[in-house]
Amino acid sequence: MGAIRNEIRRLRFEHGEMTQQELADRINLTRQTVNAIEQGKYSPSLEAAFRISAVFGKPLESVFHYSHDE
Amino acid sequence: MSFREKSAWISLLSMSGIYGFYFWSVIHAGPQPGHFRFSGLLATIIALVVLQVVLTVAVAIFKPEEAKAPRDERDKLIELRAMRVAYAGLATSVALACFFGAFDPPIVFNTNALLFILVTAEIMRSACQIIQYRRGA
Repeated sequence: MGAIRNEIRRLRFEHGEMTQQELADRINLTRQTVNAIEQGKYSPSLEAAFRISAVFGKPLESVFHYSHDE
Repeated sequence: MSFREKSAWISLLSMSGIYGFYFWSVIHAGPQPGHFRFSGLLATIIALVVLQVVLTVAVAIFKPEEAKAPRDERDKLIELRAMRVAYAGLATSVALACFFGAFDPPIVFNTNALLFILVTAEIMRSACQIIQYRRGA
């Protein structure tokens, strides 16, 4: 099984220490969902992933990575 | 804890408590064939609705911005998964009730058995939602 990892936490801090709530408000998700995505407990839909990338002005692959677990 | 998770807790605890008391009183009253007490069930439903509304409003007053927020994709996914588990439990229980119904039980047993199945399915749904919220998704 693989896992989707992300750089959201780092990117939030690089964008003026954006809070999870601020990010959640901008992408129409709840703060709890943003937290679950950050921790890798929930994989967002493709649409939500694109919205997150757009907030940080980065391509999708710079925010989300798929890693194969051996 | 999100508003949706709190709602699931309210549903789980209120249904367990109020219907638990209802079924305890039915069992305590003993078998009374042909005398299903609709007044008791009606009082139970009214108590449940009042309790859930009061608790939900209290939670919404405490954090109104969370209560106003629509369900997001994770809430919907959690709800669907919980519904699937509850439906499986409901379908299995109804099949068992049909089987035991062939032995001609009194109507009071049949009615309360079906009610018990419905309540159990609803409790399973809330419990599954809470478990998924606790796990993250």
